[in-house]
Amino acid sequence: MIGEIAHFLSLSAVLLLSLVLIFNLSFFFAKIHPNQLILSMRLFNQACWLVFISFGMYVYLAISDDFSIAYIASHSNSQLPIFYKVTSIWSAHEGSMFLWIVFLTAWSILFINSLEKNHPLKKLTLLMLSLIILGFLLFLLLTSNPFERILPFGALEGADINPVLQDPALAIHPPMLYLGYVGFVISFSFITAYLLNGDFELQWEEDIKNWSFVAWIFLTIGITLGSWWAYYELGWGGYWFWDPVENVALMPWLAATAFMHSLFAASKSNVLKTWTMFLGILIFALSLFGAFIVRSGIIDSVHSFANDPERGLYLLSFSGLITLLALTIFAYRLPALNSSKLVVTGSKESFLSMNNVLMITSIFSIFLGVTYPLIIESISGEKVSIGPPYYNTIFAPLIFIAAIFIMISVDALWQRSMPLRALLITMSAPTMLSLLALYLIWQATNIFSILAYIGIFSGSLILFSYLIRAINNFFKKKFINKGSAIAHIGLGLLFFAVSMNSILSYEKNLNLAPGQSISVNESVREFSFNDIRVFKASNHDVISAEVSLLQDGREISLNPQKRKYTIRGQITSESAIHASLLKDTYLTIGDQLENGSWTFSLKINYFIKWIWFSAALMVFGIFLTIFKKKVS
Amino acid sequence: MNQSLRFLIVILPILVLVFFTKVLLVDGDIKFSNFESKSFPSFELNDLNGDSVNAQSLDGIKLVNVWASWCITCLVEHPFLTKLAEKNIQIIGLNYKDSDFKANAWLQRHGNPYLFSIYDPRGDLAFDLGVTGAPESYLIVNNQVVGHIQGEMNQTKWETIFLPLITKAKQGS
Repeated sequence: MIGEIAHFLSLSAVLLLSLVLIFNLSFFFAKIHPNQLILSMRLFNQACWLVFISFGMYVYLAISDDFSIAYIASHSNSQLPIFYKVTSIWSAHEGSMFLWIVFLTAWSILFINSLEKNHPLKKLTLLMLSLIILGFLLFLLLTSNPFERILPFGALEGADINPVLQDPALAIHPPMLYLGYVGFVISFSFITAYLLNGDFELQWEEDIKNWSFVAWIFLTIGITLGSWWAYYELGWGGYWFWDPVENVALMPWLAATAFMHSLFAASKSNVLKTWTMFLGILIFALSLFGAFIVRSGIIDSVHSFANDPERGLYLLSFSGLITLLALTIFAYRLPALNSSKLVVTGSKESFLSMNNVLMITSIFSIFLGVTYPLIIESISGEKVSIGPPYYNTIFAPLIFIAAIFIMISVDALWQRSMPLRALLITMSAPTMLSLLALYLIWQATNIFSILAYIGIFSGSLILFSYLIRAINNFFKKKFINKGSAIAHIGLGLLFFAVSMNSILSYEKNLNLAPGQSISVNESVREFSFNDIRVFKASNHDVISAEVSLLQDGREISLNPQKRKYTIRGQITSESAIHASLLKDTYLTIGDQLENGSWTFSLKINYFIKWIWFSAALMVFGIFLTIFKKKVS
Repeated sequence: MNQSLRFLIVILPILVLVFFTKVLLVDGDIKFSNFESKSFPSFELNDLNGDSVNAQSLDGIKLVNVWASWCITCLVEHPFLTKLAEKNIQIIGLNYKDSDFKANAWLQRHGNPYLFSIYDPRGDLAFDLGVTGAPESYLIVNNQVVGHIQGEMNQTKWETIFLPLITKAKQGS
């Protein structure tokens, strides 16, 4: 019964949103009645609340083990802790789409109600938001209905959540990511409304600035958590795989990062203003593209949901429709937007624009990397795969140029050209220090890799530039934007950590019987496989190895496990990780061989913690920017 | 310059849309129809009643469903299989890594949609067939495996994957 009520509420939301659209469109050319907006707002708010209540009831159904709902029966189980009963909702397509829509609705209702009562863009923004929510609600209810019942009799027991998804990081990774993705519906709708409205004297940047920053924070946290989960839970031993679905998350992230930067500069130049609008539209278009890639199943990946052409076609046509709508209006208004106020060469905004171009280049390269295999398969039927080498080769030079522009822009001024002398002074210290760092690393490791060295050099340039600026700020009271400095130091650290990780990390495969011990290398002098135990846990059986290492003069004990989940019969492997400041010792147990010995994979991963830390710094930096007092 | 830029802003996304529509509609179909058919592996086993069965029992159009009493998802798809059996779809069970006592008890409790169930306690036949776990379903036409579904069988999967193959097989014969 509750399932039907929840279903009915969602359907009612569809009805109310359609009313908002029909009502406003019919009055589109007529004179606006003073109550028209008030009524539309009421209808819209009620529709949003219906969606929230419907989702709340769905959560209740999942907690109360209603296995007559097909989706809950195939993704949850009565034995699960309540926490995972709730998170099982977003462990597959239907439920996660529902959550996606709930977030879309939440952002929309918060934003539209935060606008002043008679803001000139309120009505058009409301229309855009209603259209988008309506389109996705219809997608959910028509092609992927989470309320579908198993008739006539429900299942006695649920089929259980996939065990690799039973992890706190994963439980919050999708919500964070979705909050980020759909948060950009605000910039998308607002900019489209601005373009439709056609009054270009209006200032729009401030109204969406902080909203976009918050969405960026969620997106960054979501991507980092996904990477964290792959490293700790999936036992892949790495943090980034250039998987198509990681790529489609990275594209809106890059666009959003470019957008944030150009929002800062938009008030300085009209050319940048137009560009910023384009980016604002692009971010959400790329988010929708990501949703399409993941949910249509046209690309095989760990993330992809079931293959269903019908869903793909709906998503593609609807996303295409609203993106084209926005872009067509943009193209139509383009001549009116451009004005004579050009970017001054050598000014801060000029370097910023250059990096914007670089970010668009990387988005395009990723887009090509994602679609190229499809294009080839479509033309010749051959399967090709594009892996890390493609992305590494493309990204290293881009990062290098970007780092140089970031370094220069630290001391550059808004709207004023930078003299060559000042430029050289700005560049000299970070360059010298970075070269020194590179030399020291080369001496210490004796490893040379051109791509990694470019990465280390770029990272150091950014790090030293901002550190010098921070020191200047401390002693000479030179102005520093704290948020920006912290975020950029995070970025420099990220480049540095990723590059160091790629040259230093290594993997050893070992074969040992219980009781044996061997020496691996100079760092890991002793590897002893002490014992293996088998025992039962709540919903799985465990094989647990007891291993002790003598690493760099210190004794470490590790317990890598294999788990067999009793309900699904799925086997997962739990890596044991010993983390220190510089490196992670990452041990995974493999299979038992015929002679009774076991295989182990020992990975030494450097600078992993630094990667998470640098992402945290970036988030913290942007967080500070939101609360910064306005300076102008 | 400005004109062509405006033109590009609209044309490029349209091209992307057209391309993905083509991938979805045309290439998607090829993906489904190009399932490499192979012949059902030969076997000599007993069914759950103790009668011997072999590959000859798989003439005509049959749905082979891999199941076990320990498998929860099998219970989830069970009502749908029962519905198929009522529509005269011939379903043959492949009882996978189970004990005959438990399996028969399970069938008695939940109903038996199968013509018979091949008893494969060690998973030998399942191994030859390429089974990765229960439940899985295979569509067999005259001893040829023409379709394969991993995981739960339901209305959508039945209609989108197996039903077109059955129609095709019927037209072919």
